[in-house]
Amino acid sequence: MPVDTRRVRAPEESQCPLLFVPLLPRGPLRTVAQPEKARVDGRQRSQVDVRPVFARCGLVTQAKGSAYMEAGKTKVLCAVYGPRESERKDDTDMKAGRLVCDFRYAPFSCPKRGTWIQGSEERDAAQALQEALRPGLCLHRYPRAQVEVNVLVLEHDGSVLAHAVTCASMALVDAGVEMYDLVLGCALRQDGDSYLLDPTLAEESGGHATQPEDNQGGVTVALLPSLGQVSGLHADGELRDESVSAAVRACMEGCHRLYPVVRRALVYAARRKAAPPGDADD
Amino acid sequence: MSPMKLCVPGEKLCSAEDCSPGAGTYLRHGQIFASLAGYVLKKSEGEELPVISVIKETEAQLLPDVGAIVTCKVTSINPRFAKVHILYVGSTPLKERFRGTIRKEDVRATEKDKVEIYKSFRPGDIVLAKVVSFSHISLGDVQSNYLLTTAENELGVVVAHSEAGVQMVPISWCEMQCPRTHAKEFRKVARVQPEYLQA
Repeated sequence: MPVDTRRVRAPEESQCPLLFVPLLPRGPLRTVAQPEKARVDGRQRSQVDVRPVFARCGLVTQAKGSAYMEAGKTKVLCAVYGPRESERKDDTDMKAGRLVCDFRYAPFSCPKRGTWIQGSEERDAAQALQEALRPGLCLHRYPRAQVEVNVLVLEHDGSVLAHAVTCASMALVDAGVEMYDLVLGCALRQDGDSYLLDPTLAEESGGHATQPEDNQGGVTVALLPSLGQVSGLHADGELRDESVSAAVRACMEGCHRLYPVVRRALVYAARRKAAPPGDADD
Repeated sequence: MSPMKLCVPGEKLCSAEDCSPGAGTYLRHGQIFASLAGYVLKKSEGEELPVISVIKETEAQLLPDVGAIVTCKVTSINPRFAKVHILYVGSTPLKERFRGTIRKEDVRATEKDKVEIYKSFRPGDIVLAKVVSFSHISLGDVQSNYLLTTAENELGVVVAHSEAGVQMVPISWCEMQCPRTHAKEFRKVARVQPEYLQA
């Protein structure tokens, strides 16, 4: 029987070593619990305090619809193409359209320079984006068509997925794709007993942790505000269950805070695009 | 003129008892919500309930009608039919590309079964055709397929390039000639309208 001499085979049964090791401290700064203090940018802990948001539609002229959003230093740009004919006919659903999401970090967006090639984190984020946006769209009105959403993160300063969801839904509205409701996103970082809403990159990676070994994690929620439905929920880290439900409620409140700003940006874009139709118009 | 109200998707417009839902709206739990961002338009039909709709673009999207003369470009050919992209309806360019098909039996009025698509059209030709019928799933459907015909003297190929890449000159209803190589190629040529001829 031919034997593979070039490769060193792994044992047949192997398990992840992390299962057997107790939780390691994550860095020299964080082994000591730090006293609870206010956040670096002056916002409060454990309160629904989102960063001020700048949102505009219609930035990318070549796309059907587009939106640009800034929240603090996080900058996200989204362009929407479609509905247009699906390229792949093999798994096209004849009754409803399809949503295709693409999520990318610009190489200059993170502290460490990345590449233009899509990494696994970006693919996961694209999948999460697709799951969050899908319930908001009336895809049954566009059979055999596909809507493409391309998100580009220009600067990563925390809660990127949440802002990408909001930006993508604004771009979809700008493109004229029929939707049941806007999809707004909000993220939260749980730090021991307090939480930080709309965390910056430093807060998200646990740099300002007060209780580094207990109840650390992040939660991102995508909400349809008028219908009161949560379309996406992502959590990572180790969180207590009551913290998760409190975090989801706080994120939903954060989304409601975002709603007036997003609405104003969309109304402004709609008014700028077309003059009001005359009374005799059909 | 009273200012028109703007809305975004998800906004509640009115109850289903007051109006009936039109374009850009949807019905849920007996309430009408907007599904587009635009101006809210309420039209009274008379005896029936007024129709409430959301208008995003003021100009109506032009769709080719049955019997309209359209200008299209051949994208692919097949022994049974030719697939085209409809570019203009009459003289207005379309914003969206619609797809059309010219079947083998719709190429000519006479000798329909002896038609060879390869000798009538080639990919890249600009063709004048007339709409016979179309199949839409819904109005403004992306994948609408139009059935076209060129079975008239004035319909057919207007612009074609030879294999050398030069625009050809029509010499008869079924042939075109390349001015550089003088090679003749078969096409179903449209008869030039007398008003466009400069004698």
